[in-house]
Amino acid sequence: MKYTLTFLSILFFSFASAQNNFTISGTVQDASNGEDIIGVNVYALEQKAGASTNVYGFYSISLPKGKHTLIFSYLGYHKIEKTVELDGNLTLNVELKEEGNLLDAVIVTAEREDANVRSVEMSVNKMEMKTIKKMPALLGEVDVIRSIQFLPGVSSVGEGSSGFNVRGGAIDQNLVLLDEAPVYNSSHLMGFFSIFNPDVVKDVKLIKGGIPSLYGGRISSILDVRMKEGNNKKTEFSGGIGTIFSRFMLESPIVKEKGSFVVALRRSYIDILAKPFLNKDLRKAKFYFYDFTAKANYKINNNNTVYLSGYFGRDVFGEDFGFDWGNATTTFRWNHVFNNKLFLNTTVFYSNYNYSLDSDLNNENTEDVFRWNSNILNYSIKPDFTWYLNSKNTLTFGGQSILYHFNPGQALVVSGGEGQDIGLDTKKAVESAVYIGNEQKITDNITLNYGLRYSHYNYFGTATSFLFDENTPAGERKPVLETNNHIGNESIQQYGNLEPRLAVNIGLSSNTSIKVGYNRLAQYIHLLSNTTASSPLDVWTPSTNNIKPQLSDQIAVGVFKNFADNKYESSIELYYKTLQNQIDYIRNADLLLNPYVEGDLMYGKGRAYGAEFFVKKNKGDLTGWVSYTLSRTERKVDGLNNNEWFLSRIDKLHNLSVVSMYDITKKWNIGATFMFMTGTPASFPTSKYTWQGMAIPHNYYDERNSYRIPASHRLDLSATKKNKHALFKRGESEWVFSVYNVYNRRNPFSVYVRQNPDDPSKTEAVRYSVFASVLPSITYNFKF
Amino acid sequence: MYRLVWILLAFMLFGCEDVIDIDVKEGKRQLVVDAWITDEVKEQTVSLSFSQAYFNQNSPEPALGAEVYIIRHDSTMFKFEDFDGDGKYTFTPRNRRFLDLNRQVALYIKYQGEEYYALSELKRVPTIDSLKYQSLTLPVKPSDGPQSGFVAQFYATDFEGEGDTYLVRSYKNDVLRGKSNEFVLCYDAGFSPSSNADGMLFIQPLRMAINSGLYSDGDKVTVELYSIPLEAYYFLYQLQQETNNGGIFATPPNNVPTNIINRNPESSEKAVGAFFVSNVSRFSAYIDKNGADTD
Repeated sequence: MKYTLTFLSILFFSFASAQNNFTISGTVQDASNGEDIIGVNVYALEQKAGASTNVYGFYSISLPKGKHTLIFSYLGYHKIEKTVELDGNLTLNVELKEEGNLLDAVIVTAEREDANVRSVEMSVNKMEMKTIKKMPALLGEVDVIRSIQFLPGVSSVGEGSSGFNVRGGAIDQNLVLLDEAPVYNSSHLMGFFSIFNPDVVKDVKLIKGGIPSLYGGRISSILDVRMKEGNNKKTEFSGGIGTIFSRFMLESPIVKEKGSFVVALRRSYIDILAKPFLNKDLRKAKFYFYDFTAKANYKINNNNTVYLSGYFGRDVFGEDFGFDWGNATTTFRWNHVFNNKLFLNTTVFYSNYNYSLDSDLNNENTEDVFRWNSNILNYSIKPDFTWYLNSKNTLTFGGQSILYHFNPGQALVVSGGEGQDIGLDTKKAVESAVYIGNEQKITDNITLNYGLRYSHYNYFGTATSFLFDENTPAGERKPVLETNNHIGNESIQQYGNLEPRLAVNIGLSSNTSIKVGYNRLAQYIHLLSNTTASSPLDVWTPSTNNIKPQLSDQIAVGVFKNFADNKYESSIELYYKTLQNQIDYIRNADLLLNPYVEGDLMYGKGRAYGAEFFVKKNKGDLTGWVSYTLSRTERKVDGLNNNEWFLSRIDKLHNLSVVSMYDITKKWNIGATFMFMTGTPASFPTSKYTWQGMAIPHNYYDERNSYRIPASHRLDLSATKKNKHALFKRGESEWVFSVYNVYNRRNPFSVYVRQNPDDPSKTEAVRYSVFASVLPSITYNFKF
Repeated sequence: MYRLVWILLAFMLFGCEDVIDIDVKEGKRQLVVDAWITDEVKEQTVSLSFSQAYFNQNSPEPALGAEVYIIRHDSTMFKFEDFDGDGKYTFTPRNRRFLDLNRQVALYIKYQGEEYYALSELKRVPTIDSLKYQSLTLPVKPSDGPQSGFVAQFYATDFEGEGDTYLVRSYKNDVLRGKSNEFVLCYDAGFSPSSNADGMLFIQPLRMAINSGLYSDGDKVTVELYSIPLEAYYFLYQLQQETNNGGIFATPPNNVPTNIINRNPESSEKAVGAFFVSNVSRFSAYIDKNGADTD
């Protein structure tokens, strides 16, 4: 309540100070293909006032009556100056031209690109697809999720694991959005490749702290991936042939400069290549993954634009026995400009992540069968308003409502012709939120972004809920005390959380600022996973009467400084984060198809803290960055590690990345990345004992994660050769050569102990590496 | 269920394993009780030894001079004696089964002034009806076995009534497949409580868990089905998990539980290991290429 009052009084204050101004608004697009450009800097020279375009390329700036010079600038594009005589509200749409190769004799006097110092956003990393495409990629497959792991504060448990960890958070604590629809599993092939087709990705933004009130639902980070709209000026066909995927993309205007579409397909083709070489028994084997991405937009008039985007991806493996999984999302969006100051985007989305297992794909043995499927389905509506109140205040407000359907598992077991259904109840929940936030310039040097989000969660439906014996010793399976049946749309459990957000930017000089951010976040759905790397079969589960929502509070402080006319940007950030209601698992927890799974869960708390150092070179032939993170993340759970704090399995003390790209000539550019990461914590036994001839590991002290496996480091290289033409002397093309793990290091994914495979009474320690060789690759890309 | 999935997943990943040296802290030496008793008319053994440093490859040191008894619910005591001085305390029932179905039975050990006990219960076991085998040719020749041969499966049906737990293990030509991943645990006719397979024919992955590589013509296959109490099911489940826990989908290591209790809860001497009792049914057959099922 106190928050609300403070908030309202600040708001009132802001309104009172509003002046009698006019507003210039419009959209900024790429001149070559009509794509909206996100984050273009709009600067009013005389007033020293600035704005930037939102994710739909829309901007709005309030200025007094009179003559103004507006400068539109964006890294990698020629800046544009427009002089306007303002005596009323004005719509001004602008197109920016991409800078050619910097070696072209055009000298660009770029406006100071100092957004990182000036904006109130902190703990945010944006990555341009241009950069991601120049970085060396595993097997030549350009990958968004792998690339962001080179950013400060981001790590993974090991090579080849799915997902990523941000500032000590678990992989399910990242909200991964593809055109505003959540993606529940962001990987193909268990984590080797991410599901984002690099050809259709326009913009990638990772928010690790100071998260604005617009976002909610996960407690560690937001990965906001935006898809291209498609070329609205001419039809283009592009694609590539790589080691793993073949890619094709078609983009074309629907109505020239009013609407366009893009469709893109990626499919792995190793199975097709291998087929002729496999003998008869294996020829039926299925082993492929693909994704299909499509998007269309239509600008009805200056005030209304609609977008429809969809993603459908699947992984299929198996022969007689098979399994497959994948995401499907569909997003419909409507941008409406009420007037020069009020912008609305309404998003409606559907998202479905499902997987299934089948022991008998070919229906050859109906006597003995096992079939299983599980999914998480959601529908959502989300209106987001932006009100460009005056030159000092930009107000955002809106809400979201998500309806979840969880099907934790439906299975059929047939043994000897006799069938048995193993069904778990479908679970339903609604997660709703309303939020308001304001970005306010207090003085020229102080900007605030404050907001409040209220989230509410209702677990309901025809389901069975359980009460467990909470007096069970910690770490043991809790027996069911009471079973309650619910029917209709009866509410079983509700939760509500107030989530205050704050970010402050204090400018110390024209190129230096200090930023402070605080956020509280609530998360109502959880991924149950007790393995080192998450598997595609891990089950998403809603909060229930037993599973409470996860909460996190984070405070971050940073210094941001640019050097040499913004050629270099640098930052140092410190963060401290606490986590509540973190799920852990009793020993021998049964997480699949277990109706009493809540009795196998334990709840603890976590804390994570660290320092992130970042230096980036933005301009010149040589670009890239160095990032170093020193961090710690710990958990405390009754029943584990003698009830003391222990290192989380995702803890990485040191994490260093170096990314560099160099344009040698117009034709050739090279890229190199290097990473060094402390090994993950591990638990090893102190002793062993022999029982029925088997050596059983035993930890006398019952400690968890008191060791560390050896560190990982790796160098990757790539070289791109641009050709004048693609096939038939048309279009353009390029060859990309890359080498992963150049000096052939066997980086440990894990170290574990085991019985000697030949003599179970003998014991040994084993280092397990996912990639144990140099992996070279060649990719050919073309565009007509 | 879990394990089946993991085995499949692990199989598909092309990782690489190297044996390395690591330094680990040593724990305190503990008494180890290895007491798996069957209700059969043959020598029964309770082995007592000591735990040792994890990478110590010597044979475990026996615990000598202990008093060991099995005590039936009717207070009849059976004394186990270490005749050979090797820590293996034995007792051979004379001429009849010596345990009673659905009755508790206790193990009592007195060693170096400390008294330990454990409880278990004898459960019912179904008979194995038959053993079938069919010919199979693998797509690739395995490094340690034939490319063509036979896969066997046994047939047995779980009792009606939820919560029967069993262990299945097998012998190839009278050699026990004795590694911790070569036996399989059953909850009713499925893998785990959530399989919901009460009263069914044992499901196929269980029936076929008696193969490692292919059998050849003339091989002898022996299958043993043991009834085990629920506590033993969880002990063995954890044992399997902790001894086969590597790779990309490893779970955090945990200690395998024990049911051996020091009568003095204040004592710093804690034992590890397990005591349980089983009924057994057995079935043997010789692989005959002319008798194989065609499928």
